[in-house]
Amino acid sequence: MTDSDPQQGSLKSARLLVIGLVSVIVVLGLAVIVLAIGRGGQRPSPQVNVLANSRDPCVECHRRATPGIVEQYGHSAMAAANVTCMDCHRAQQDQPGAIKHEGYTILGEPTPGTCERCHPKEVAEFDQSRHSLPAYVAYAGSTGLDSAQLAAYRSIPEGTYQPDLSRNAIFAMEGDSITRFACQTCHAIGKPRVDGSVGDCTKCHLRHEFSLEQARKPETCNACHIGPDHPQFEIYTESPHGIMYHTNGDTWNWDAEAGTLTPRDFPAPTCAICHMSGFGNSATTHDVGDRLTWYLFAPISTRRPSWQDNRTRMQNVCRTCHNEEFVKEFYLRADEATEAVNGLVARSDSIMAPLKARGLLTPQPFDEPIDFTYFDTWHFYGRTAKFGVWMQGPDYTQWHGAYELLHNLSKLRKEVKEKLGEAGARR
Amino acid sequence: MTDDASTGRYHLATLFPALGGLRLPLSRDQAMLLMAATNEIFLGVDIFFAHQISGSIVGAEWIPILFGPIAGILLLGAGALAPRHRDVATLFANAVFVASIVVGLMGAYFHLHYALLPSAPAGERVTVDLLVWAPPLLGPLTFCLVGLIGLSAAWLEDPPDSGVLVLLRGRRLKLPYSKTRAYLFMVGMGSLATVMSSVLDHARTGFHDPRLWLPTAVGVFATVVSVGLGALDRPTRRDLWAYVAAMLLMIAVGLGGAYLHIRVDLGAGGTVVLERFIRGAPFMAPLLFADIGGLGVLALMSPREPQPARTHEGHEEQRKG
Repeated sequence: MTDSDPQQGSLKSARLLVIGLVSVIVVLGLAVIVLAIGRGGQRPSPQVNVLANSRDPCVECHRRATPGIVEQYGHSAMAAANVTCMDCHRAQQDQPGAIKHEGYTILGEPTPGTCERCHPKEVAEFDQSRHSLPAYVAYAGSTGLDSAQLAAYRSIPEGTYQPDLSRNAIFAMEGDSITRFACQTCHAIGKPRVDGSVGDCTKCHLRHEFSLEQARKPETCNACHIGPDHPQFEIYTESPHGIMYHTNGDTWNWDAEAGTLTPRDFPAPTCAICHMSGFGNSATTHDVGDRLTWYLFAPISTRRPSWQDNRTRMQNVCRTCHNEEFVKEFYLRADEATEAVNGLVARSDSIMAPLKARGLLTPQPFDEPIDFTYFDTWHFYGRTAKFGVWMQGPDYTQWHGAYELLHNLSKLRKEVKEKLGEAGARR
Repeated sequence: MTDDASTGRYHLATLFPALGGLRLPLSRDQAMLLMAATNEIFLGVDIFFAHQISGSIVGAEWIPILFGPIAGILLLGAGALAPRHRDVATLFANAVFVASIVVGLMGAYFHLHYALLPSAPAGERVTVDLLVWAPPLLGPLTFCLVGLIGLSAAWLEDPPDSGVLVLLRGRRLKLPYSKTRAYLFMVGMGSLATVMSSVLDHARTGFHDPRLWLPTAVGVFATVVSVGLGALDRPTRRDLWAYVAAMLLMIAVGLGGAYLHIRVDLGAGGTVVLERFIRGAPFMAPLLFADIGGLGVLALMSPREPQPARTHEGHEEQRKG
């Protein structure tokens, strides 16, 4: 067979072209290799506004109307991944919560039902967590939940813990005009939404940057986990972990790939590392109760369902930095301390028992000083002492916790004695 | 030239004369096609894990995951059909390989689209940092490489090592280079894509671990040697030895890399946490080095087809004519 064969086509003359193209590809490829090797291992700078020259109609209009959110979103990883405004805000005509806006049908406030489209695992984990319906029920009660929500609520560990009994009567007393700026601000993290989904992802993932670093930082948890009833941020700040964070946190790898975090990225833990992050032998979770062994929020703490499994997951995190004996010993002693605080709080019930037995307490909550004294005993001091134990904040275990608890018991005894005296009864 | 001019041997037998008389159960093209089918299946599995990194697999991300295993199974089916209906099998395989190239190009486009910031200020729209942190730009092109190798392997070259492909109905196409040399160029391009992917991935760690230089060096060496061998008209035994060494190094780096990636992903005490395997060091990615090394070795096999393969209808007609 020869080149002149009528049945034979020929590309033989393209030899030089092939060699030329191959050489170009090889040289360009090697150039990229050299350039890439010179990178420092850091993600691209978030200072770049990827929407700076965007012609997207939402961006163009909101650049004038609400430039702040456009600026924020321009620096987000989602915008860099070509997720547009309408990808989250677009709505169907008949979609609950949909509104007409400049000729578009949109969701003014996307819900977890929106986030779920791309992050189903995270939303499912959140739905099963204490941050979900139990947070809402704590102030609003469970009576407003539909049957599906009620079933979901009861499937959550906190939903099985005396539902509604943990509802705080203070909420109703203060009224909506106050609580919308108070209780609701934090507890709405688990509020049912018009589309049937639950909660508010943006409580932790602040819009519109949705920054990994921001969500991972203890300051984000500080928005709610602060103050006399749950001073976790203050305790963390006092703990060795918090000291490490405040000393060197600015050098940590805040943008490290989720699920692969190591002590090289985070030499000491943050709130998220212990409770949520994929760290050590524990996988990432958005169920903040997934690694907890006790209902520490309760007046008398009891073990959570499957607490042994939860303990294993938390200890997996601890063991990344601490040896097994240290971790076992810590858990043994912290369990003992929790029982001890339980014992002190239980005394408040014993002290109050004669008043209850004689019907000397009014049926209305928080209408006399002793109600506040009794409430503070567990709600402030009992909790604080237990949180202080588990998060290694000695001052909060001692002076803000156990000491105040004892002081309050003494105050409670005096108030009970006075009430019994007033009623003509002796304890 | 593939056959040594003085001995009439093909490359591998030139280096290892004992292999000259060895009859393998598969011809080079059959082995290449089997590798292509296996690659399609593994690509599907690898991409299934890779696309889970965002926590969910949505929309077009399913295309390569579904295409890989389906293509692999179809190719194995075509292989089973080939002894009796070679033309049909060839057409079938070609369709799959063309689809593989399309899927690869689409994937590269999607990954590139993710890496570019078209609305960012000038100078920030395409940066090396973006390429480093984007989904692997070159990863989907593996489908293209498999498609090209498959297309090359599916058509008979007659006479062996002539660069003349026998197409349907006896039509012939004279290519610029023989199949062997085309394979060498493809192995070179595959090595380049592999080392580039490796470097872009490892750049995320800042190359702090000195062991990361090993795949970089071996990949560059394999690229240059493969392309060089393809370009040479009369390679010497030393040239062939350099190439074989490069391919064996690629295989060793691939296997060693997979071991090291798995070790990095394992938790304390050897605990398997699936998330670390999905989002951590990609445990299957280094095997691409071994894969290219294996393809490189196969390229040195004899280009001759076994006799039964010459039952190609068009070719038979040609011979009768």
